[in-house]
Amino acid sequence: MSTPVTQRILGRHPLGLLFAAPYAVFLAMVFAWPLALAVWMSFHDYFFAAPGVPVDRPFVGLDNYVTVLGDPDVRRSFVNVGIFLLINVPLTVVLSLVLAAGLNAAVRARTFLRVSYYVPYVTASVALVAVWLFLFSSGGLVNEILGPLAPSPSWLVNAKAAMPVIALFVTWKQLGLFILLYLAALQAIPRDLYDAAAVDRATGLRAFWHVTVPGVRPATTLVVILATITGANLFTEPYLLTNGGGPDGASTSPVFVMYQKGIEQGNPDTAAAIGVVLVVAVLLISLVNRKLLERD
Amino acid sequence: MSRTFWTRTALFLGALVFLFPFYYMLVGSFQKTPDTTVRGIFPTGGWTLDNYTDINSRVNLLQSLLNSVIVTSGVLLGTVVFGVLAGYALARLHFRGRGTLFAVMLLVQIIPFQLLIIPIYVMIVRSYGLADSYAGMILPFAINSTAVFVFRQFFIGLPDDLFSAAMLDGASELRIMWSIAIPLVRPAILTACLITFIGPWNEFLWPFLVTKNQDLQPLAVTLANYISNIAGRATNPFGAILAGAVVLAAPAVALFVVFQKHFTATEISSGVKG
Amino acid sequence: MKSKFLTTSAAVLALGLTAACGGGGDAENARSAKGPIKVWLSNNPEEITWGKAMVKEWNAAHPDEKVTAQEIPAGKTSEEVIGASITAGNAPCLVFNTSPAAVPQFQKQGGLVPLDDFSKGTEYVESRSGDSAEQYKSPDGKYYQIPWKQNPVMIFYNKDLFKKAGLDTSKPPLTTYADFLATSKKIVDSGAAPSAIAPAPSSEFFQSWFDFYPLYAAESGGKQTIEDGKATFDSPAGKDVWNFWHEMYAKGYSPKEKYDGDSFADKKAAMAVVGPWAIAVYKGKVDWGVAPVPTKDGAAPGDVYSFTDAKNIGLYSACKNQQTAWDLLKFATSEEQDGKLLETTGQMPIRTDLATTYASYFQKHPEYKTFADQASRTVEVPNVPNSVEIWQNIRDEYSSSVIFDKTPVDDAISKAAASANDLASGS
Repeated sequence: MSTPVTQRILGRHPLGLLFAAPYAVFLAMVFAWPLALAVWMSFHDYFFAAPGVPVDRPFVGLDNYVTVLGDPDVRRSFVNVGIFLLINVPLTVVLSLVLAAGLNAAVRARTFLRVSYYVPYVTASVALVAVWLFLFSSGGLVNEILGPLAPSPSWLVNAKAAMPVIALFVTWKQLGLFILLYLAALQAIPRDLYDAAAVDRATGLRAFWHVTVPGVRPATTLVVILATITGANLFTEPYLLTNGGGPDGASTSPVFVMYQKGIEQGNPDTAAAIGVVLVVAVLLISLVNRKLLERD
Repeated sequence: MSRTFWTRTALFLGALVFLFPFYYMLVGSFQKTPDTTVRGIFPTGGWTLDNYTDINSRVNLLQSLLNSVIVTSGVLLGTVVFGVLAGYALARLHFRGRGTLFAVMLLVQIIPFQLLIIPIYVMIVRSYGLADSYAGMILPFAINSTAVFVFRQFFIGLPDDLFSAAMLDGASELRIMWSIAIPLVRPAILTACLITFIGPWNEFLWPFLVTKNQDLQPLAVTLANYISNIAGRATNPFGAILAGAVVLAAPAVALFVVFQKHFTATEISSGVKG
Repeated sequence: MKSKFLTTSAAVLALGLTAACGGGGDAENARSAKGPIKVWLSNNPEEITWGKAMVKEWNAAHPDEKVTAQEIPAGKTSEEVIGASITAGNAPCLVFNTSPAAVPQFQKQGGLVPLDDFSKGTEYVESRSGDSAEQYKSPDGKYYQIPWKQNPVMIFYNKDLFKKAGLDTSKPPLTTYADFLATSKKIVDSGAAPSAIAPAPSSEFFQSWFDFYPLYAAESGGKQTIEDGKATFDSPAGKDVWNFWHEMYAKGYSPKEKYDGDSFADKKAAMAVVGPWAIAVYKGKVDWGVAPVPTKDGAAPGDVYSFTDAKNIGLYSACKNQQTAWDLLKFATSEEQDGKLLETTGQMPIRTDLATTYASYFQKHPEYKTFADQASRTVEVPNVPNSVEIWQNIRDEYSSSVIFDKTPVDDAISKAAASANDLASGS
């Protein structure tokens, strides 16, 4: 039994500490410490050295940040991710809500339909990229079908089309998760709201707009925030679909540049600075999204 | 034509579009030479198993599969055992630091792994000496924060009267959790498992860094390696790459199809109610 | 709040302490120690065959100094894996896939052992490789790698496709830029192949080694991109090379998109940039001929330089039994083992008098002779700080100006050279 003193220090249910402790320790080890180190690295002239090798690590204040923010490659990667988000997030929200609504109403072949939409989500990007490369290469099926309409240069080497193709790929791949979230939210909308709307002769599209969309507002917030976070952290797709960052850097992403600078070129200090900037930007955008969407 | 007809048609067409890359991947992997014409979508000849036999001769598929199973099971175990505990604590117990832990749990989902990968690598390999081991592959993913979130939301969603009766009877917190909450949490566990399983199963960068011993490498690593380095030397590189992709995707898809009816919305509905 | 803070700080402290207490102090002991060691081989199938046989032979003769060999991917991720393992302190004793471009970085990390520290180390390296060894010295004058094998870059051409385009297959017009361009035009115009030659146009830092660098080595008469800490390629030679490739891309003789597969084997390109490894790969697939890379005004084949595309062996500081590692290194690069390497993989060991030492091999395999001859005139990547970043910048400028025609070539070259000067000075 907890005494008032323990209660004041440890909270009403100190047992909670015990339950949460393994997770908390895990987070401290695998997340908090490396993050702290990364932030520390961003303020020093840092590179990884073999153990026991004496190495100078002078504090350099904001130097890394200045370098990074002034680097045109870094700036372009942020712009690219911005383009990606502008395509991916709205498309994801609209498509997943519409498909979820459709699936919710569907009765026959529900299993087949659900599996089809979820399957890309559970498959490894490495596997899917192979077939997308096959489809979108200049001799691939997509261009065969489009014939004279095919863009030249072809999709993934076209500076204007590379990022949109990646956005399309990621949207397709992630949709399953967001459909699931919307399905859950749809099932939580009480039937009487629809009945009330029907009384006012608002059915079909109007019901959708006036009942469904507002009704899933919290889910929409979640979807937007999750999609933004995953999008901002885009790495695997630029890495695999357009090895090396695409035509003239048209499909680099901040995490990709971080990987290049930090791991390939041995400059983890500038990489850490990019990472910190990215995280701060994502946090800000998420907060803004949340405020905008929960204006109620 | 009724609205349901159009909805149904649109849904089916959408499903076909979604599935098309998988179909194409499958078809291409059985072809002797790659055919990118429109007619190639429904090939009538040129079938072969060569692409698959090539993979089997270069890569130990069974061992890799076993490794994937071991690593993923480790993560699932860690997540279910410690995640349920943490989720329950975050949901129903008031303790010092609960708010911070919750905030950190959310923050974890924002930080890209690439920012942390080398410090984590140094810690796991240098400080804990876990290179070339299953523990080393499992550790950074041992407890999936999204799953913790799911558990928390689920426990919050449980009606209070379930607990108030027990509390009135003077049961301890431990007793309450054990006899009431845990038996109910099964559906959430299934959902959390499906969400958690995808990460370690498809992850290739981390295990690739941590293990050089080929007997320990999971499927994603051996196949990614095959696709990028070895397939180019096969008789039909495209076909070989696609075959590699099929082998990598198949277990995940199969598992999902088997368990998908549990991957329903109700388990996390409380989470999106707000 | 407090409990979380306490937990975190305790954990951080514990970790910090354990992380700080790394190695140090027993470098001297390691230098002369003998015992079991671990080595890494690239996962190229032929190299694995050679490596495993070599290790087996060693283990039979040295049961107390057993060698365990593991494979690492041959691709670009190889350097990342090695770099990460140096940081973690679990690098193997030898890596038979150490890229010369990565050596400055590994050296900076404190991950490599200078071979000069071993008794008669410098002599061994220099007597085996002769004058070529010079390019592998680090700025401090020591050898942190031993030049092991190279794949001198030359041009393969598809005789069937050339015949189709109406080109001479025994003395193809490929010596001057003008000839090369005209040949390319014939190939594409006649429909023999969609492209004349298809070097990978992607932006990885090492791609320049297979389009820009071999031609620059030839055009400049054997210069490296950086000599004495200064960029050399902002010059007529450098500009000529970039302008040549610019024309190839502009006129459509080379595709701007990476072909997923082997363009030469799939007959999508009539020529390819290759090394002797290609002989085994294309045997039976393509009826090939080989020519040296072109120069602007043409040169006799015996005077043309090219790029080494070498992979070397490094001895890593994490090694506990460095004497064994050194002995194994000498064994693996002995005349006998080098000969076996040549026979199994076709790649050229970096030895002086390669052609004469293995005369019987070249008699049996005359196709390799051209490459052996080219091997005596090859140029390595410069051993300077920030080597990888320099190559990435060069590639980015090259991509923007030569491949995608977004910026003028002269400007791009100046920018690349300026940043190279900056980085090579070690900042």
